[in-house]
Amino acid sequence: MRQINALITNTRGASPVSIILGVVILAGLFLFPKAVESPYALHIMILFFLSTIMGESWNIVGGYTGQYSVGHAAYFGAGAYTTMVLMQFKQIPPWYGMIAGIAVALVVSLIIGSICFRLRGPYFVLASIAVAEIMRLCAMNLKDLTNGAEGILATDIPPFTLGGTVITDFLSKVPFYYIGLVIAILTIAVTYLVQHSKLGYYFQAIREDQDAAHSLGINLSIYKNIALAISAVFTSLAGSFYAIYIGFIDPPTVLALDISVQIVLICIIGGIGTIWGPVVGSLVLVPLSEALRSNLIAQGIFKIGLASEESGVGIFLKDHLAHAHALIYGILVVVVILFMPDGVLGYVKKLTKKKAM
Amino acid sequence: MTIFLQSLISGILIGGVYALIGIGLTIIFGVMRVINFAHGDIMMIGMYLTYNFFSLAGVDPFVSIALTIPLMFLFGAILQKTFINRVLGALPQNQILLTIGLGLIMSNTMMFIYTSDYKILTTSYSSSSFNIGTISISWPLAISFLITAAITLLLYWFLMKTDTGQAIRATAQDREAAQLMGINVKRMSILAFGMGAALAGTAGALISPTYYIFPQIGSTFTLKAFVITVLGGMGSIVGATIGGVIIGVAESLGAVYISSGWKDVVVFVLFLLVLLFKPAGLLGKSKM
Repeated sequence: MRQINALITNTRGASPVSIILGVVILAGLFLFPKAVESPYALHIMILFFLSTIMGESWNIVGGYTGQYSVGHAAYFGAGAYTTMVLMQFKQIPPWYGMIAGIAVALVVSLIIGSICFRLRGPYFVLASIAVAEIMRLCAMNLKDLTNGAEGILATDIPPFTLGGTVITDFLSKVPFYYIGLVIAILTIAVTYLVQHSKLGYYFQAIREDQDAAHSLGINLSIYKNIALAISAVFTSLAGSFYAIYIGFIDPPTVLALDISVQIVLICIIGGIGTIWGPVVGSLVLVPLSEALRSNLIAQGIFKIGLASEESGVGIFLKDHLAHAHALIYGILVVVVILFMPDGVLGYVKKLTKKKAM
Repeated sequence: MTIFLQSLISGILIGGVYALIGIGLTIIFGVMRVINFAHGDIMMIGMYLTYNFFSLAGVDPFVSIALTIPLMFLFGAILQKTFINRVLGALPQNQILLTIGLGLIMSNTMMFIYTSDYKILTTSYSSSSFNIGTISISWPLAISFLITAAITLLLYWFLMKTDTGQAIRATAQDREAAQLMGINVKRMSILAFGMGAALAGTAGALISPTYYIFPQIGSTFTLKAFVITVLGGMGSIVGATIGGVIIGVAESLGAVYISSGWKDVVVFVLFLLVLLFKPAGLLGKSKM
């Protein structure tokens, strides 16, 4: 509690300008659905919140503790599948499904942690991928439980209450906007608390030098597991939220390696091991991939007149650009690793520092 | 018993091709200490090359490896020089992420060009087989096994007997000492990555008559290649050969005695067990 008070009152050197800016942005975010009614704008914001939640969660174990899990799809999928199976097949409202999803993700994280944290560096990366792959294959093969490759489509949605009102249909995006916003703020707050607590210092000590941290009496496996557990809880929440919001899940969309890579990407692009890194990463990635998916970029090219819509090139772009977001992701990873290893945030910091000098 | 022998033999045959993928990965790791997460995607490019040679010019997939090998070598060498070389001293995670990124670029570029449709390369002998006793053996698998064996032997000879081969092994053993001895370490790295890519590409060419070809096939094989090399001990060529055969047999037996859906789970569980109990691999910490 003291820490939460400290979070509110003591801003640790934050300038009044940034506090006011923060309050304004936060107020703006809460009022956004009142001002903007476009479902598409709300959809983009919801994806942005989702991406922020995923990035912040990975950041705790990957960014602060230095354990590069490339298997976070395991927790995302655990949340998504648990919530969806309970909701669609057992008529259990998604709130309880989310909690059950967290429980499952915690168990999975304990199993993964106890196996994988004995391994270091590339071996840990490999093991984390293997575990997530095993889960994907299980989801594919346990047809009675998960519907296998067909996936689960939410058709029998049990009514659930949100802030006193009963939600029976998922047509409005406004409730999801607020749920996403609240979870996103929660994950950012948790990251902040972690970063400024003893726990967070332990995490960062492990990241900087495992052996030194160990020799100082930090129990490596316990703290790595705690970091992974916190990370798993929020990634699972993101998975549950995704499942309820989209209303359809299958192994390739919630358990594939691509998901794990995307989660890592949000952090690398923004800046690993920083509070705002995943937010910045999401600000870059979400609009970009949506613009590609909805063919906005192809439309833009037609508008500028670089290619006509009926020409061969135009048809090619229209057909293919929508699937190109993974290609762009790949190019972004390569560019970021080679030219801005500290992410956009680190790059901007470096630029402003240079200017100041 | 027939079923057992049958699946054992087809496991060994496919294991030979897996070994080729694993050896490529292990050479790259040995010389540069970089884990190439784009390895399966490089193999996928080899598959598409073979598919194009076949569908555009009617070149038999087994003949086309004469073209695939130099082309893939060149591809690997360029990759090393333009990308991998820049992260040699960086954090292992950055190297991993870079190669993951390169893999994404490769698979999605292929999807851009060829869409995600499955392509099938059907030769006149794709489904033909011959019998030894009661066991039937598929021709394409048998031929690719023989080619694999020949390439592997040639590779051994190259690494053991030639000056360049010895320089590569020296670089793998101790990069700095090799450099002090006047070995051009940079050149060896390019060579090693080129060889690794050529081996992966060849494996792709060899399995293309028996597998569906699609842009996303790479990640499965990247993981398989790791399982194989970790099983044998990262950096060990003999280990990768044995690892390949073990994985081929495990898969094949798993498919028959458990189910084809679960055969990959068998492979990954095996992988985790090895990581847990013998992280240095079955052959211990052997170098190339």
